[in-house]
Amino acid sequence: MVQREIRIRYKNSALGFLWSMLNPLITVLVMSFMFSNFLHKDTPSVTAYILAAYLPFTFFQLCLLDSAQSILIAMPLLKKIYLPREILPIASVISNFIHLLLAFCTFFLYLLVVYVFFPGEHGLRQWPFQIGTLLLPVLLLINLALSLGLSFFISALNTFYEDVKYIVAVGVYLMLFMCPILYFEEDVAFSTLNNPQHWHGLLYNAMNLNPVFALSNAYRKLLIAPNKIKVDGHLVDPLPLDWRYVGWAAIVSVVILITGYNTFNKLKWRFVERP
Amino acid sequence: MSIEPAIIIKDLRKEFLLSTSGANSLKTALLWWRRRKKVHLDVLKGISFEVNKGECVAVVGRNGAGKSTLLALMARVYKQTSGTIEIRGRLAPLLELGAGFHDDLTGLENIYFNAIILGLTREQVRERIDKIVEFSELGEHVHSPTRTFSSGMIARLGFSIAVHVDADILLVDEVLAVGDFEFEKKCYAKIDEFRAKGGTILVVSHNPTAVKRIADRCVWLHKGHIKMIGKPEDVIPVYESTSMTVD
Repeated sequence: MVQREIRIRYKNSALGFLWSMLNPLITVLVMSFMFSNFLHKDTPSVTAYILAAYLPFTFFQLCLLDSAQSILIAMPLLKKIYLPREILPIASVISNFIHLLLAFCTFFLYLLVVYVFFPGEHGLRQWPFQIGTLLLPVLLLINLALSLGLSFFISALNTFYEDVKYIVAVGVYLMLFMCPILYFEEDVAFSTLNNPQHWHGLLYNAMNLNPVFALSNAYRKLLIAPNKIKVDGHLVDPLPLDWRYVGWAAIVSVVILITGYNTFNKLKWRFVERP
Repeated sequence: MSIEPAIIIKDLRKEFLLSTSGANSLKTALLWWRRRKKVHLDVLKGISFEVNKGECVAVVGRNGAGKSTLLALMARVYKQTSGTIEIRGRLAPLLELGAGFHDDLTGLENIYFNAIILGLTREQVRERIDKIVEFSELGEHVHSPTRTFSSGMIARLGFSIAVHVDADILLVDEVLAVGDFEFEKKCYAKIDEFRAKGGTILVVSHNPTAVKRIADRCVWLHKGHIKMIGKPEDVIPVYESTSMTVD
């Protein structure tokens, strides 16, 4: 059943897949131009770093926005015929997940191209497949659980309160800045705000409790060998990936998935009779 | 005819919660939470009846009697407030012809999608696709998107799919009024064929002639209660005369 839904989605527009790739592609091109020339110009291969965190983030973002509308769009169908309601948010998450997998293929292709053709100082002087790459499925699984759980919540709530989707859109947009996607984890850790003397690294710890923060950081650290990064004018060594935060993100994600599914289940019969 | 029941409905109740404020955003919900009024609407107030295998039962009643709610409950679109519905066999709801068609998909793709929702596998649809297209008389049009179809074409395709999924029970909500005279005759023929194979039908209709034509038994719903059950010859005259006096 999920397959059918996806098939339908793809058939809707022949260019569907191309469009969904085009958006992150253009965004990353612009961003990497900006970053490699103005903002992080001392960090080598900043494009790859941004991509590694931005691709999963796009997945997260699109899941939440798509699933918000999924029930309302299918309402004419739900009113006429029985259909397991869970399929609707699941289908939007899965179709986005397939996009993410394809996007990661493109990502590795990009690393390979850079490795082969641009071995100079601006390029990536390393084999594109790290040992950490093997752990990518683990991160993807956590990410999937988190996105699916939130999608259940949002699709159920948006059916009753149609402005939930706007709140979600704003929230996800802000999330982009609260996570190490356009900057590095080290930027937070070595910032003055996070100064150990006053704050004991409170800011860094607090931000890491956000599962999306931990995930973005983990994607980046596992997929590309971390480099020295310039913070406040001096180079700092990259921090090792802290697995406790990844574990925490996994726990939070599973809890969200379970509660999200339960909430959805409780509300699903009221979808068609919403006031 | 065997006396084995295909549908057992016991003490079925359904109440709707109507909100007068029509709040469907968080903003309005927060701003107007004091003024929100909920109105309970009892649509079905405890209904029990059985439909036997191979039987055709018609449900009649005035607008708002709960006929469509009853069908929707059986199609599992709504969930009942209390009571039980037991359905033995595969059910094909025809609550509205062509419901669930996707405008941008072609007729053929919609056949697949719709038949799969109704419980067929992909292979089963493939076997039947020719028969479905032939019955619907759409010809070459099946290859164009359904948004280009006329309402008659959509109804024909919807009906054609529903009768070809080989369900055991068919739920029909006044759909026989669509299509031209020729097609209507074909539908009746198909329904007779369906019943000859032992299929069960539950139909909601306003049309007394149609009810007399196809139904074995008739259930008269009035304001959420069953007012009368019996042979159409007995129920329909009483029903017709009462509605006259009420109106």
